[in-house]
Amino acid sequence: MKLRLSTSNIINGGTSIVRRPASEKSNVELVNGLRSNFTASMQASIPAGNGDILDAADGKGAIKNAVLPSTSWTNVDNGRLNVPANNPDDPGLAEERSEYDITVKFFLLPKTRFSDWRRHLQDATSAVLQELRVDSVDLLIISFPGVSFDADSEEVGECGSNQIQASEPELLDAILDVWNTVATLQANGVALNTGVAEFGCERLKEFLSKTSHRPMVNQINVRDACEVPQSIMELAKQERIELLTHNDCANILPQGTLRDLLGDGPNGAGLLAGPNAQTKGLEGDLSPEWVVKYTAVVRDRGVIEHKGYFASADLLQKPTV
Amino acid sequence: MGLLALGTPLEWRDAKKAADQVRQWGIEQLLAIWRRAKGKERDVLRWGDEIEYLVVAYEYQQRKVKLSLRQADILDALAKDVALQKQGGCVPELQNIAREGEPLPTFHPEFGRFMLEATPGKPWGIGFKDLLDVEPNMKWRRTIAKEHMEPNEYPITLTTFPRLGTRDDFITPYYPPSGDRLRSQFLPDEIANPHIRFPTLAANIRARRGRKVAINVPIFQDEHTAMPFQDPTVDYDLHKWPEDDDVRNGAAKEDHIYMDAMAFGMGSCCLQITFQAKNIIEGRKLYDQLSPLGPILLALTAATPIYKGFLADTDVRWNQISRAVDDRTPEELGEKPLHNDRWRLPKSRYASNSTYISQDPRLRKEYMDPELVVDEGIKQRLMDEGMDDLLATHFAHLFIRDPIVIFGEDLKELDLSKTDHFENLQSTNWQHMRFKPPPPDNSIGWRVEFRPMEIQITDFENAAFSVFIVLVTRAILSFDLNFYIPIPRTTENMETAHARDAVLNEKFYFRNDPLPPRPAKASANGHASGNTTPAAQPSRPATPTGPVEDEYSLMTIDEIINGQSSPSENSTKPFPGLVPLVESYLNSMNVDVQTRCDLARYLDLIRKRANGRYWTAAKWIRHFVRGHGEYQGDSVVSERTTYDLCMAVEEMTRCEGRSGEGVGWEMFMENKGMTRKRKGESACG
Repeated sequence: MKLRLSTSNIINGGTSIVRRPASEKSNVELVNGLRSNFTASMQASIPAGNGDILDAADGKGAIKNAVLPSTSWTNVDNGRLNVPANNPDDPGLAEERSEYDITVKFFLLPKTRFSDWRRHLQDATSAVLQELRVDSVDLLIISFPGVSFDADSEEVGECGSNQIQASEPELLDAILDVWNTVATLQANGVALNTGVAEFGCERLKEFLSKTSHRPMVNQINVRDACEVPQSIMELAKQERIELLTHNDCANILPQGTLRDLLGDGPNGAGLLAGPNAQTKGLEGDLSPEWVVKYTAVVRDRGVIEHKGYFASADLLQKPTV
Repeated sequence: MGLLALGTPLEWRDAKKAADQVRQWGIEQLLAIWRRAKGKERDVLRWGDEIEYLVVAYEYQQRKVKLSLRQADILDALAKDVALQKQGGCVPELQNIAREGEPLPTFHPEFGRFMLEATPGKPWGIGFKDLLDVEPNMKWRRTIAKEHMEPNEYPITLTTFPRLGTRDDFITPYYPPSGDRLRSQFLPDEIANPHIRFPTLAANIRARRGRKVAINVPIFQDEHTAMPFQDPTVDYDLHKWPEDDDVRNGAAKEDHIYMDAMAFGMGSCCLQITFQAKNIIEGRKLYDQLSPLGPILLALTAATPIYKGFLADTDVRWNQISRAVDDRTPEELGEKPLHNDRWRLPKSRYASNSTYISQDPRLRKEYMDPELVVDEGIKQRLMDEGMDDLLATHFAHLFIRDPIVIFGEDLKELDLSKTDHFENLQSTNWQHMRFKPPPPDNSIGWRVEFRPMEIQITDFENAAFSVFIVLVTRAILSFDLNFYIPIPRTTENMETAHARDAVLNEKFYFRNDPLPPRPAKASANGHASGNTTPAAQPSRPATPTGPVEDEYSLMTIDEIINGQSSPSENSTKPFPGLVPLVESYLNSMNVDVQTRCDLARYLDLIRKRANGRYWTAAKWIRHFVRGHGEYQGDSVVSERTTYDLCMAVEEMTRCEGRSGEGVGWEMFMENKGMTRKRKGESACG
């Protein structure tokens, strides 16, 4: 069974948005956003008059399965469990589509099958379009697992002098395969511009030599935007690719984090069965598939109106004996 | 400064008689604006900065520096060239420095005849390219200004001229002090812009007040400063004007530097930023939310440690300007029982602001100023026409003041398509925030002006603070931040900001948790929980009812700017910090590498000014004076010191601490000789 997790709009959702320096990992926005949306949805699903259930909870709103059936705040849709339930009445954006710059960043996750990537991309894109009630986004960026930009090693030598690692050819093929879907999305007007993330000089060069669909953007994570190696700056300039900055972490949703979010622990949503079936819930192996982040900015005012994430996971249920 | 209409200005005794008429007409004009513009929607973000310069003239042989009073000539030269260029003519002075596609900046007169103001030729947007254009544009403005001056004249951005009002010839051309308009024993009338509006403003403030303005700044007590300190430049034996009695009546306080004219305050240079809001609702929100930041940015930009040739024990200009235009009568000040005047007024017309105006459910009545003075008749008139209580209160508060400069010609007929009478009151209420309605033709939207910041010596710093405030407004709107604290706490903070090194040593009231609680949400099957509003609108939390005192605490500037490591005693969450909030905003935007690098330099400057790793201009100037060879440890800032200081400032403006001698490096780097990471930046000669 597929699980689709959503943060809904986190932009004015309080603490999710601000990362406190040093002490926290950079996927805190996603994790806090999910957790706080789960809590808010659980609270909203409590029938009137049962408010004291909440007060009895530990303040973080962790409410256990034992009190609430999970189905009161989740729903099933096409065989997929939405956590929390999607809201068909959500109005989407406040103003006309033309007022916004919508950016979508799609994260493929480690340990996923290359052959599933195209389908994941389709799923993620349609989730965002539906959430914002739009039929196109301004920029679609794809982040691939195992692809990361390292400012320090890039510093060494000219672009073109380093060998790509031995395991790379398959990854490159998978990247190109997904990229074909990206090209189709652009051709169909779903993504007005497209980009990649974390491509170093070598990879970008190789990639460009093998695709006719050129990315407009390469998004890199740099601790210090003033220390970007000259080689990638020059290549980007030459190829007219815009180098954008981001601060998402490489592995945005590790399996353990996902289990903590949904499990029956102190900060969990209580959807998963506990170890040794002490608590009831979903059973099976949970593996993250993809994450997508979307941002809608009112262009001429620089105001972020909408920001959120979807995450998808696969629950491999054990055959009943 | 506002309108410069020509006409016959009324002397105070006549102006006073016309005050009610001007107020009434001003209110009718305000209502006309409000009717026209209250529904104005979807204006984009446009913003502008204003840089004010002192014009100094060096006498290299004598190693002297003076204020140049050639403002009018310089402005004439600038205007002539701009007009020529508009006609497509070739302007030799501008040919080499024109920037393709960029409209020429605009230069304006200011109160002081030694001042210039420059604004960008067109307003800025929020595009990141615009943000990066600010600094080069500021540098360009300075270059153009300089090109229209004499070879020995320079535009510098010190807040005040260190030796304004000393007994020597600190101005060129020289005029002796004690004219009819200012009646100052230190300054000539010619110190003010000769446009009739300005001397009238000064004279009528003095006349209304019934004596000269009195500005007393505490003296910095150094090793050899005579204590108690009696300002040795004060002449107690003048008998030219009735106001010469002021000092004999105790106007000059012990242990203070004493000044007696509007030009001592209004001759200060500021860095002001104006934003256009999306609509009146957003404008009112920004006005409220930026207000508590005022004292923080005042302390952080501190640059004013010298007055009239003495080191002061304060670091900022604010109170001096406040006192320099304080037109309150003894009755209004509470020195005499109310007899002729209508009320006691706790604040000068130049002061921290006293109203919140946003129709925001987060605005608790406990935040309002209990000492607010309002003209109830005016408020009623506004409300009768449909204006809401908060906004009517705001304007009825501004309109407790008398109009100071009234032109006889304007009293003949009320013209509702104009805003002159409204602006007369509006623009002589110099509060640290200003809420500005659209002009008569609605071509511009509702605007908010942020006014507390001190001008910085370099354009790098001026750009950094301007861009920072712009980014803070975007974070406020995006994250729905809440900085509300009671207005009296902001008033107190404004005082606190004056202390020497307040940026490091003082604590300021600030809201503990600026982040909104997550809106309660509707459940999947459609009905909202509790008593929240339908999901179609972002639901607001119900008005909190805990004690207001638990919402804020005393924080250092470092904590406010960079964030707290642990929560205040009365809070559960550490304050996240304005810079981290801005960074969170930037992390959600598509920002290219070069832009992010440049913005990082700006944020780095602000972060390190706040935590003390970099010095404020006030600290550096004080250090410079005390380390100067001529300094006797007696708080006196000599002519030669002033000359060397201005030269150093001039060098810093060009080199930003990277010159051979590294002048002013303490303001820009942690160790002398460090270079900032910026492409193409090298040592500076």
